[in-house]
Amino acid sequence: MGASQTRSEHPSYRDLSDKTGFSLEQITNLHKRFKQLSGDSETISRENLNSIPALTDNPIKKQIIDAFFDKRNQHKGEVGTYGEIGFEEFLMVMSHFRPPSLKTSEEEKKAMRKEKLRFLFNMHDSDSDGMINLEEYRKVVEELLSKSGNIDLEAAKAIADAAMLEVASTSMPDMAPDYFYEGITFEHFEQILSGLEMESRMHIRFLDVDTVTMRCDKKQ
Amino acid sequence: MEDLWGSVLWGLKIWLFLIISLIMIPAMFGFSLGVSETYMTVLIKTLEWATLKIQRAKADEQTLKKSASSGLIQREAGSMEKEFEELRRSRPKPPVGGDFTLSDCFYFSRQGIESIVEDEVTQRFSSEELVSWNLLTRTNDFQYISLKLTLVYGLGIFVRYCILAPLRITLACIGLTWLVLGTSAVGFLPNGWIKFWLSEWVHVMCYRICARGLSAAIRYHNRENLPKKGGICVANHTSPIDIVILCNDGCYAMVGQVHGGLMGIVQRAMVRSCPHVWFERAEMKDRHLVTKRLKDHVSDKTKLPILIFPEGTCVNNTSVMMFKKGSFEIGATIYPVAIKYDPKFGDAFWNSSKYSMVSYLLRMMTSWALVCNVWYLPAMHQQEDEDAVQFANRVKSAIAHQGGLVDLQWDGGLKRAKVKDTFKEQQQKKYSNMVVGDDSSSSD
Repeated sequence: MGASQTRSEHPSYRDLSDKTGFSLEQITNLHKRFKQLSGDSETISRENLNSIPALTDNPIKKQIIDAFFDKRNQHKGEVGTYGEIGFEEFLMVMSHFRPPSLKTSEEEKKAMRKEKLRFLFNMHDSDSDGMINLEEYRKVVEELLSKSGNIDLEAAKAIADAAMLEVASTSMPDMAPDYFYEGITFEHFEQILSGLEMESRMHIRFLDVDTVTMRCDKKQ
Repeated sequence: MEDLWGSVLWGLKIWLFLIISLIMIPAMFGFSLGVSETYMTVLIKTLEWATLKIQRAKADEQTLKKSASSGLIQREAGSMEKEFEELRRSRPKPPVGGDFTLSDCFYFSRQGIESIVEDEVTQRFSSEELVSWNLLTRTNDFQYISLKLTLVYGLGIFVRYCILAPLRITLACIGLTWLVLGTSAVGFLPNGWIKFWLSEWVHVMCYRICARGLSAAIRYHNRENLPKKGGICVANHTSPIDIVILCNDGCYAMVGQVHGGLMGIVQRAMVRSCPHVWFERAEMKDRHLVTKRLKDHVSDKTKLPILIFPEGTCVNNTSVMMFKKGSFEIGATIYPVAIKYDPKFGDAFWNSSKYSMVSYLLRMMTSWALVCNVWYLPAMHQQEDEDAVQFANRVKSAIAHQGGLVDLQWDGGLKRAKVKDTFKEQQQKKYSNMVVGDDSSSSD
């Protein structure tokens, strides 16, 4: 692409680095990628993300794209969706996938884990009411399974119901038989996944590489 | 006034005379006077010196970290199955129903974010990035390092725009005109071996002149595998100049659409001297017609080998994209050719959405030079048990391996079109197999 090699720091990069925890180099690289995706404009729309070929493979592509435009993931206390996002919002969503460094304390690690779980919770809870009810859960199962033709809609529903029942019984063991289980709250969600070692599952190792000075081809 | 005109005309005459004697005549007869070799050696020395200067200046600022992967993120190497096994290890298996959990989404959301940060396809359609600046503004913006470097850069601009570019444009014009006139003249002769020999000579001569017009330094490897008559020659595609490069060394029959204007004149002239395969726009849609005409051409053993670029679009010469299976269904012998440009001297990739043909050619003519390697690979035939797609992939791997390019499965048409839904369904199938499959193993 031949972008210019700016050795001087962007002043706003420092703020972003403090807020999101990425290093300055990682932010520069991600900004280049942002520009590539947005076609050199200042904001990205859903269409831009939709047109990435490798993303089409992904069964929950829609949920992932929605996660970028979800206001809850920006940690500002707002609810709702954006029409388009700028680079800061893009980085905030990416920061959910940063691995803990050696310097993070136990406190910070706990907070990061909670953040990652919150991100996943928001992805399921599409109407932002703070609970994943049966309908929303079924929807995710459908996206993951039914369109392949291997499992039909009825079977997908059955799987979702069974899983939901299991969640209810584990989180509320003294439940009365005719109690109407409304939905999975965030606390239940955390509880279910408390045994899961997810720090390594939900992070992406961002490299500290200066891509302008690297060749694209394999052999020299 | 008249003195001025007189001297200008006189200058032009000398200019043309120099060009014809020093460049055209050697090109026509295929020997070299050593001018371009000296130019290339000087150029390489200058660029090496410039690189050293830049690196020394940058070394004070930061140390270049070596990394195995050339990307933004480090991808996990595990497959889908392995990842899910690990995710599920920490919880007991449910007594009934498929093994599906909330945590399965982790895998997919991470994959999705990885794809958003870096995907293999989009980066193939922008120019390759260089290790260091090659004194062309179009590669990296100008940086002030030292006075000497700036002077060399300024001298470079002067040389490229005021000396080399007019020279090359003149040569290109002469080459094209000669092509049209020569082939039309040969077309008047009766069919026979004289006509055939003359038409080959005219073609090669004109392409040699055009190649000089781009300051192309081409090295051909393994010439014993040169494509023979009655076969199909396939190569990876980076720009329209690939045709000039390949035709410098042999005669091929072209395949393509009939154009109007200047291209149309050239096409009609070429067809007079030896048969090429030109299609009308409407005929291109009919696949059977296309296959039939190609088959007819190939089965006639006196006709030249056909030159086809199966990728269907220009790719930036770091990778080879999916080969379309049409040319591999004809059943002829395939002669693969790998073309790799050296990006230090000029970027040959034609980004057709960014530059028009004319501005692309001008950029080519104001680069330092065009250096490339051409490898002729041994002929390949379709085996008994493989279909056209597998055959195409086999040829593609051979070309990618020889040229040092990355072998990709993606379709070059993705430059403009969207991915088909079948890919998404494949992933869903794989995942649902895992969920249902666990069911059968855990329910007894």
